Amino acid sequence: MIKKIGLYVLLLVAQNGAEAAVRNFALHIDNGSLTITGTGGTTLSVWGYGESAGLPTVPAPTLTVNEGDTVNVTVYNHRSAQHNFVIKNVTTDATAIAANNGSKTYSFTAPAAGSYVYSDTLNNNINREMGLYGAFLVRPADNSNTAWTGGPYYDHEKIWVVSEMDKPRWNDVASTGGAVATATYKPNYFMINGLGGFDSMMDNNTMIMGTLWQETLVRVVNAGQFSHSLHFHGNHFQVLSINGVRQPTPFEEWDTINIPPMATAEVLYTINQTGDYPMHVHTAQAEGANGVYLNGAATMIMMH
Amino acid sequence: MKKLTQAILLATLGLGTQHVQAATINKSFCVGSLSKTLSGVSVNFWGFRDCGSGGMGGMGGSATVPGPVLEIGTGDTLNLSLSVNMMTPQESSPYNGHTIHLHGADVQTSEDGVPETNGNMVNGDTYTWTPLDGHEGSYMYHCHVHTVKHLEMGMYSAIIVRPKNTSGAFINQLNVSTATAYDFSQNYILSTVDPAYHTATGDSTVFADYNPSYFLIAGKEGKTTSAPAMTLAAAKSKKVAFRLVGLHSTNSTFEIKNSSGVAQSFKVYIRDGRALPVAKTVTSLDISPGQRADLIATLPSTTGTWYPQVTYKKLRANADGTYPAYATVYGKVTF
Repeated sequence: MIKKIGLYVLLLVAQNGAEAAVRNFALHIDNGSLTITGTGGTTLSVWGYGESAGLPTVPAPTLTVNEGDTVNVTVYNHRSAQHNFVIKNVTTDATAIAANNGSKTYSFTAPAAGSYVYSDTLNNNINREMGLYGAFLVRPADNSNTAWTGGPYYDHEKIWVVSEMDKPRWNDVASTGGAVATATYKPNYFMINGLGGFDSMMDNNTMIMGTLWQETLVRVVNAGQFSHSLHFHGNHFQVLSINGVRQPTPFEEWDTINIPPMATAEVLYTINQTGDYPMHVHTAQAEGANGVYLNGAATMIMMH
Repeated sequence: MKKLTQAILLATLGLGTQHVQAATINKSFCVGSLSKTLSGVSVNFWGFRDCGSGGMGGMGGSATVPGPVLEIGTGDTLNLSLSVNMMTPQESSPYNGHTIHLHGADVQTSEDGVPETNGNMVNGDTYTWTPLDGHEGSYMYHCHVHTVKHLEMGMYSAIIVRPKNTSGAFINQLNVSTATAYDFSQNYILSTVDPAYHTATGDSTVFADYNPSYFLIAGKEGKTTSAPAMTLAAAKSKKVAFRLVGLHSTNSTFEIKNSSGVAQSFKVYIRDGRALPVAKTVTSLDISPGQRADLIATLPSTTGTWYPQVTYKKLRANADGTYPAYATVYGKVTF
């Protein structure tokens, strides 16, 4: 089935001569909330980018394009403070979008296939911590299921936006107009894709799932301010790229990868046995939600 | 097609291991309380100990942090049994009991020691692992019940998978490649201690914030080069293998400095129990929580002292991308 789709894609590409497309996106910056469900959970006040006005999401929508596409991202700022939009290693205009419904369009050519992180870089990390971050993905020009043109093939693709929030000292303060003392950062909520572990361990978009010998490309984006050391049970993974730098082949095989703040990595996880396994950050406090075990940065690997 | 290739590969490995005398290693572990004095302060720990031939809860020495280091050969089968009984220090439900997770072993779910996936087998179990050829290197084991506390309490150590010769004896190489031959070997087991985690239990907000006060290699502080955590009396021009095992909860960097403070180069051959396709010569190596590395340093041809050392660093970076250091823990190699 997958191979057939791949064939159709190839045929379409052949017909269209792999012409680069024009991709238009709109993002709206608004106040919002993020709920971590389950024991230890809470509702955090956030600022986010959303696809529609008044509906911010954390993380922000994943923007997906193909290599060489012309990309136009129009960002509307509905908040009463200045914000910006920067895709790390892709766009350079970090000047502010005016408050109270100002907007700005960022136009660029999609760079080399890979995983990128975008965020609001203003306000001494406060705007990012409040939820203004997301993933920008560039697929190969032919849109094939490979990490890049001629790169390793995958059956499934997962995006993990890892982050953390300090509710009492940052979110509660910034959302009520107070001044965050940024020297102190003691995050008490840790998330993958904006979810606590109790949700992300059951979330189809986050979990690695597959049958024997299927390959999953995991695109990891750390939008937080802490380093996150991700440990995979069940099998080792191949390290394909780190911060957009494609690794030489054969790829190194690790079971734990450290992703520094605002860094990215792409790993390939092969289902090589059956069973259920966790994937979790291996540092002490990142496994919990305000101290409640396993409601933090964790998900599941289901191999069947 | 891929399946077939794998089957052939496994068959080849199967044939390969028959040339070597595969051993079966049966170990029985218990859990005990102990206290350690760190910077003059007594901190309570839980550690593993060998229960000894007496088996269930029998007398077999005191628990230690880190626990006993296990060495097994590729093709050997490790049966690691854990006893949990009324005498075992533990938390109350739902975090009662203990397990052993063979970190990096990629074993079946039933052997993985994770209560959330193994049917909550937390009152004693046997964990079985047969490392394959090519999987030489450093691994770790630790309790996976309420890991945020139980690992911090000291329930951890290393498992070293070593190559063997045709008569089944360990050889002093990191793996089957003769390029990885060494004369001396040391296990640098990295860990950190936040004493608040040692007294808190259950789903406490204490576990939302990690503030380590003590920084260890192999359970020792080693705050200065004159009081190192690890010592090795080696010899000129010899090769020393260091096995770094990341059981800490912070960032860290390993370096080897000479007596003038100049970082020396070393060669990393294995990470996370897998040979690097190309060994890497570096002068520093970051080890994050859960990672391992196996490396070799070649000592100079003239007499001297080197100080292998681990600098523990915060998880949050400075504005310039560097990480504030908590502390450096020193080792010492004389030659």
